[in-house]
Amino acid sequence: MDVISQTIAWLTDQAHWQGSDGIPIRLLEHIELSVAAVLLAVLIGLPLGLAVGHTGRGGAIVMTISNLGRAIPSLAIIIACVPLGLGFRATLVALVLLAIPPIVTNAYAGIREVDRDLLEAARGMGLGGRQVLLRVEVPAGLPVILAGIRTSAVQVVATATLGAIVAGGGLGRYIVDGFALRDSPRIVAGAVLVAGLAILTELAFALLERVAVSPGLRLERRAGQGLEASEARQPA
Amino acid sequence: MTKVYGSPAAAGRDERPTGREVEETRGAVNDLTFLVPAGKICVLVGPSGCGKTTSLKMVNRLIEPTSGEILIDGVGVTTRDISDLRRQIGYVIQQVGLFPHLTIGENVAVVPRLLGWPEARQRERADELLALVGLDPSRHRQRYPSQLSGGERQRVGVARALAADPPLMLMDEPFGAVDPIVRERLQNEFLRLQRGLAKTILFVTHDIDEAIKMGDLVAVMQDGGRLAQFGSPDQILANPASDFVARFVGADRGLKRLSLARVADLSLLSPVTARPGDDSADARARVAADPLASGYLLLVDDEDRPIGWIGDHDLPATGPLATELAVPMSPLLEPETTVKDALSMLLDADVQAGIAIDNDGRVLGLVTVEGIGDLMREGDRVARSQRTPAPGAGGHR
Amino acid sequence: MIDVGWIAGHLGTIGGSAWEHVVLTVVAVGVGFAISLVLGLLASRLRWTYGPITAVTGLMYTIPSLALFAILVPYTGFSLLTAEIGLVSYTLLIITRNIVVGVDGVAPEIREAAAAMGLTRRQQLLRVELPLAVPVIMAGVRVATVTTIGLVTVTALIGQGGLGQQILLGYQLQFPTRFFVGVVGSVILAVGADLGLLRLQRWLTPWERAKVG
Repeated sequence: MDVISQTIAWLTDQAHWQGSDGIPIRLLEHIELSVAAVLLAVLIGLPLGLAVGHTGRGGAIVMTISNLGRAIPSLAIIIACVPLGLGFRATLVALVLLAIPPIVTNAYAGIREVDRDLLEAARGMGLGGRQVLLRVEVPAGLPVILAGIRTSAVQVVATATLGAIVAGGGLGRYIVDGFALRDSPRIVAGAVLVAGLAILTELAFALLERVAVSPGLRLERRAGQGLEASEARQPA
Repeated sequence: MTKVYGSPAAAGRDERPTGREVEETRGAVNDLTFLVPAGKICVLVGPSGCGKTTSLKMVNRLIEPTSGEILIDGVGVTTRDISDLRRQIGYVIQQVGLFPHLTIGENVAVVPRLLGWPEARQRERADELLALVGLDPSRHRQRYPSQLSGGERQRVGVARALAADPPLMLMDEPFGAVDPIVRERLQNEFLRLQRGLAKTILFVTHDIDEAIKMGDLVAVMQDGGRLAQFGSPDQILANPASDFVARFVGADRGLKRLSLARVADLSLLSPVTARPGDDSADARARVAADPLASGYLLLVDDEDRPIGWIGDHDLPATGPLATELAVPMSPLLEPETTVKDALSMLLDADVQAGIAIDNDGRVLGLVTVEGIGDLMREGDRVARSQRTPAPGAGGHR
Repeated sequence: MIDVGWIAGHLGTIGGSAWEHVVLTVVAVGVGFAISLVLGLLASRLRWTYGPITAVTGLMYTIPSLALFAILVPYTGFSLLTAEIGLVSYTLLIITRNIVVGVDGVAPEIREAAAAMGLTRRQQLLRVELPLAVPVIMAGVRVATVTTIGLVTVTALIGQGGLGQQILLGYQLQFPTRFFVGVVGSVILAVGADLGLLRLQRWLTPWERAKVG
């Protein structure tokens, strides 16, 4: 089909690989933005989620705010951050805000789900509060916690695309500019690149999970629960 | 050899049914043949993994037999339409499997509904059956399974199986999931039910005591789905066909034979009875004249239900008898209670006599340890005369 | 900062956007549910299809929405169809997965009893397995609905968008009120839909209510 061959042509065109609008630059922008956002979100959200999960206090409030946060369309959040200045900064703040809820929710849920008996056994063996958290709760809850970060990361990569609307960079630029210029190959090329990046992120985390999570836990979870609210991510 | 249900006249002969379970390479059931006459309870009993449940499930084709035949009234089960077949067979399992999203009434009416009965008739039948299994329809028909206790759920399970009045029932450890007290009650009630209904029943259990109590015929199975012995409970106990059967039945099979007899089979003694308000002097006189010379009087209510014992030393010289004088000491024994259980209860309560009651709780007479001993001696005599193994009916070929 | 006067004077426009938003969502979830039902039942019956189905729907889910719409645009234009194809795709993973898990989750003894009573395979599915799977399926439908409501705003970029139009216009015209209306409207729709569906779920499962009582 015409569009496909045009897109391939566009992607293989040397010119598109050079310059400030070239693929490498845009790709780098996109990755930088995403990584920065996820790191910040983890720095803020993970301790918060773990703390609330471990102590069991403030859970309801945290969950409510998280859930409320999901109801707000990502597009709106990006636009809302514009007063902070167009481009990179606005998008970053917005992305961090979007990335925090899944991380917090899942950290909280992962810790809460840990078998009570296990915790009792740990305390019985003489492990103190922090040790219980680090040596028992986190490893046991790791699958869910990681799932939260994974959800977050993919969401960030996806939403970073929208950043282009507020004059941000990243691969979304191709799509938005393509819309404006009615340049189909550019639109599709951008889309393919973004999609590819998102899929790669997903796979990377799947690999990470395989490596980091103990096989014993993985078998348990294989039984598969329905997609619950804590696991669902907003496609953005 | 075949499993055949229906009148003995319709007995057939053929190869062995062999069921295959997915994981095993050997057959789960290899050599099983017997005949169950209509209207009788046949119990399949054996250790875990011997293939008894597999055999049961082959009858309604939850597991398809890979060779051999299972005939119901002369018709092979594999020749019939599977849904049709199953609607004519009642099925009761340990976990019951009531549908949580249907009310009790709707649960019971599942098969009638499948068969297209008119709604009014469905509801009537459900009520009828709930009452039959001892649950008040007006209270229970609108409730949901989650609101019932384990014992109640099991009763509903039985009611559901009986709803379309199937000639054949399959039961797989139906009373296994409840506590022993409830289990005994359910067993007794079921036996009572069966007396009125005379269904052909294939019952699976791992508990030899249950097998002996419930079965008219018992098929003892061993590992690999082989039939070790087939016969009446008494035959199995008196003449075990192999070491395996003897071991499985247990070293106490003499005592077990006590389970074959029921309280209804015992000859009962007559106690001196009186009602509250009766004249005490008269009562004292009657106690003194009691041929049993027990020295006790049994106080009963207007319905002849026992209240308790009053010793002659506690009887006032004159005046009306007061309820407070009576002390309930004896276990109450229903007609279906096995003699073994009755003996056990007597020994436990450390009293000389238990009170045999009918199904409405009315006093029928007294059961004593001596009376049970007499029955044992009598039974031994009969069994000794039957010691030569009987040909026909049962054993494996 | 919020021009209440504008809001009062443009209730029609706002209502129109909201209605468009609702329609987009209902069609997407409706079609998505229908397709998922087929996929889900297929996956639970023919186990080997579950893997591929999850992989494909998962793939579609991972692709950023803007990218998905972008890929469709050359073929189906800046149209309602493009929007709906994209929106439907995002519902598939969640609902299909929940249907499979929901049906799988029916206790084995209940399935055994259903088969043993003489229900045909079809009757077992329709009368026993699906009704019992409703809570899990509805959970999936709720998540899918709220997600879709959020995604509809992105379709503003391809000319659809419902309340997303107000958000976008608010930005483009430097008019915060419109932006505000768009956001608040979407959130209200999302929360309302979630609660409404929860109500529906409770209504569909009277036996669950009995448990608590």
